[in-house]
Amino acid sequence: MIGFLARKFWYGLLVIAGVVTVVFFLFNILPGDPARMMLGQRADISSIENINRELGRDKPMVVQFAMYVNDLSPLSFHDTENKASVWFADESRYGSMFTILPLGSKALMVKSPYLRRSYQTRQEVSEIIKDALPGTVILAIAALLFAAVAGIALGILAALYKNRIIDHLINVLAVFGMAVPSFFAGIIIAWLFGFVWADITGLNMTGSLYRIDPFDGMVLEVKNLLLPAFTLGIRPLSVIVQLTRSSMLDVLSQDYIRTAKAKGLSKQVVILRHALRNALNPVLTAVSGWFGSLLAGAVFIEYIFGWKGIGKVTVDSLETYDFPVVMGAVLIVSVFFVIINLIVDLLYGVLDPRIRVS
Amino acid sequence: MRHFRSLIEDASVLKKRKNSEVKDTKTGVFIIFTPSMKQLLSIRNLVTEFSSDGKTTRAVNAINLQLNKGETVGIVGESGSGKSVTSLSVMRLISAPAGKISSGEIIYHNREGADIDLVKLSEKEMMHYRGNEIAMIFQEPMTSLNPVFTCGYQVMEALQLHKKLDKKAARERTIELFKKVKLPRPEAIFDSYPHQVSGGQKQRVMIAMAMSCEPSVLIADEPTTALDVTVQATILDLMRQLQQENEMGILFITHDLGVIAELAQRVVVMYKGNIVEEGPVAEIFKNPKHPYTKGLLACRPPLTHKLKKLPTVADFMRQENGNLIETGESLEAVTIKFKVTEEELAARKTALYKKEPILKVENLATWFPIKKGVFSRTRDYVKAVDNVSFDVFPGETVGLVGESGCGKTTLGRTILRLIEPTSGKVWFNGSELTGLGASEMRAKRRDIQIIFQDPYSSLNPRMEVGAAIMEPMNVHGILANEKERKERVIELLKRVNLTPEHFNRYPHEFSGGQRQRICIARAIALQPKFIICDESVSALDVSVQAQVLNLLNELRDDFGFTYIFISHDLSVVKFMSDRMIVMNKGKIEEMGDPELIYKNPQSEYTRKLIAAIPKGM
Repeated sequence: MIGFLARKFWYGLLVIAGVVTVVFFLFNILPGDPARMMLGQRADISSIENINRELGRDKPMVVQFAMYVNDLSPLSFHDTENKASVWFADESRYGSMFTILPLGSKALMVKSPYLRRSYQTRQEVSEIIKDALPGTVILAIAALLFAAVAGIALGILAALYKNRIIDHLINVLAVFGMAVPSFFAGIIIAWLFGFVWADITGLNMTGSLYRIDPFDGMVLEVKNLLLPAFTLGIRPLSVIVQLTRSSMLDVLSQDYIRTAKAKGLSKQVVILRHALRNALNPVLTAVSGWFGSLLAGAVFIEYIFGWKGIGKVTVDSLETYDFPVVMGAVLIVSVFFVIINLIVDLLYGVLDPRIRVS
Repeated sequence: MRHFRSLIEDASVLKKRKNSEVKDTKTGVFIIFTPSMKQLLSIRNLVTEFSSDGKTTRAVNAINLQLNKGETVGIVGESGSGKSVTSLSVMRLISAPAGKISSGEIIYHNREGADIDLVKLSEKEMMHYRGNEIAMIFQEPMTSLNPVFTCGYQVMEALQLHKKLDKKAARERTIELFKKVKLPRPEAIFDSYPHQVSGGQKQRVMIAMAMSCEPSVLIADEPTTALDVTVQATILDLMRQLQQENEMGILFITHDLGVIAELAQRVVVMYKGNIVEEGPVAEIFKNPKHPYTKGLLACRPPLTHKLKKLPTVADFMRQENGNLIETGESLEAVTIKFKVTEEELAARKTALYKKEPILKVENLATWFPIKKGVFSRTRDYVKAVDNVSFDVFPGETVGLVGESGCGKTTLGRTILRLIEPTSGKVWFNGSELTGLGASEMRAKRRDIQIIFQDPYSSLNPRMEVGAAIMEPMNVHGILANEKERKERVIELLKRVNLTPEHFNRYPHEFSGGQRQRICIARAIALQPKFIICDESVSALDVSVQAQVLNLLNELRDDFGFTYIFISHDLSVVKFMSDRMIVMNKGKIEEMGDPELIYKNPQSEYTRKLIAAIPKGM
């Protein structure tokens, strides 16, 4: 078990290292001058040079990459004496740092990963992400929870009533759900439930998880979650319905289901205990993949419902060539992907002992 | 109706008083009510039908059957004869809405002493009997247990449901049952998942599950078909023993009369939904009346003597316009007709061993590494094939026999280099196969073909049968153009007793035997010199098996093929082969003339294998 976790963790690190490399070189090949972006078109040459030196952009690409990795890595090398060095252990930049291995004027230190600062606002990228991430995570979890619960239930229903009216109805709904683009569905849903029937539903067209109240500060607004989560869940729901249906039909024709019936178990027990657990593996695969991509942000939904999330932040920063923010967002999302994959690998084993690791 | 019901109620009250008279209140006449105390299950005029696309087929056609306490009744027949449908009808497990019991009664004499018509019970009432008073064991132990629950849990479930035991008591009872069915380390098996135990052990778990609530009726649907002979023998023993303890009635369903003789007192022979013959086992074996029964008895490869070809059902009867026509041949006459004389055998042998061997296997070994740890380092090896050497002569059939896991399949695949050998050499027609490059090996594959075990999964379901047979010809560029190849395929189809119309059909439209013929046609399409038959008839009914074996022999004589015939069934291997190799744990136990090995086995393992074969009568 520990061996398995260690191996998975190692693979995860490799994936993240790959993402870091790709992201770094990709955004350094793209055109765009950060110094000009920060200072505007009329900045004088010396200011621009200063900024470039501070960012290390006067150094060769390989050194820049090393600096970037050093900034990201929790375990990093720093210069402890020369304040002018780009490798200087600057606590105002990295936060608190701990030396674990002093090497003369240099040291191996532990710190929290440093994602650099936004070109536009000079705000720390980690702060920007910390601000936007909870909204995205909660929205993704809510949407998928809704999609999974409703999708599995409808899928079972469709399988049990195969080729009858209920099955056909569910199928039509699922196809419709997959066909409707989310931006369209979002607008219609926001308009209907947040505006036309607002008096009945009591919901707003837009709004984030937190409302800034003039007196109370941040106020949690759970009801704002309903519409975006529902809209975002429609598509995964449709996929989960179809997957559950087909995998359930497959499982229901298995010999061990006949054995369970021959034991005298009731229909509910046969379906919920014996069949469902066997049918869930493909559903889990779909849900986990979807969860990962939802964490990257559901741009349209976030825009339509005015929801503060990572997708909106990413797109806004892309528009203004604010690369550190984009790079930070991409990295965070890939870390989440790796973690989710690890959890799902463990969950497979919980669901099906045949793929359980020894 | 009410009158009738009160009659029944009276009867049940009286029965408890051991009285056998019931007064009919309407007429005032005493009815002598003598339920045979032994009668358990009585099927009367049962009709079970399946409908699809508006067409209705009768799987079971008005059969009558009776099972008494402590009795074992065997139901024999080929796939599609309605034997399994009969058993599922009793369990009321016919899958709705396609199938349904259209008419008839299944009267069950329950524990309270009342007679109940199972057909009329509601689903809920039926649940009380299923697994409790009437239990069932299924054919495929591999797939009949739920892979996500432990073996123990699945047995416990039935106990908790019917016996209302709590968890602890159910666990104790389950472990007790596991001991009773002679599972090794019952506590460990209790917590094991089905994939962690062997096929024979799974079937023991299934038996424990079926026996858990001490049922009055046990239905066993081909419980040993998927198992090795030695395992089969122990399972049959176990069932016999359990029956004596509980006085159960057993309905034992199989396609193999040999197995029935080991266990049953009475036999029912089913053919196309009808019962064609019924009687005590000894009577059926000695004096079969119906031609189909004769065919079933004759088509099992005999152990005592060698036959030229196996008799099939067709030697005793044929169908014309839906009518059965008997050929009128007796069992003995057919058997004598097919017997091989000593001179014929000797002549064949001298002709065979004059030539140089076509295949030489030298010290072949295939080891599978067992990897462990973070860095997947190899800790140990499974020696599937361990230092095996033998020769095969042109035109010869070498039989390879052994239990599952003995390495016979790995050996066959290693010769073909479908699995790469760890060491050793394979000489085929003078060239050494293990040293060949990928493209040279591909060219050689033309000469060596393989026919796999499962005709259901070895054909691509989305490919027309004709195209499947043609594919290897396309790959190896045989014949000038598509048209010639197509003609060739039609020729091949005819050769394996199919018709040209079958060219454009898909595999699911064929029966198991027909599919295996298609696989054979595909294998011989390249005109190979050498064919490896890997358990090629194991998935087939005995009657179909005989036809396929005969076909393989005919093809060998016509085209001069050389076979390696791999099977777990010693009687089949003995019938097919000129020389026999007995394998155990990756090594050759014994090699030589099959008749000699059978009469005078040298190794302990061979002796055990032979002793386990059901001998019939």
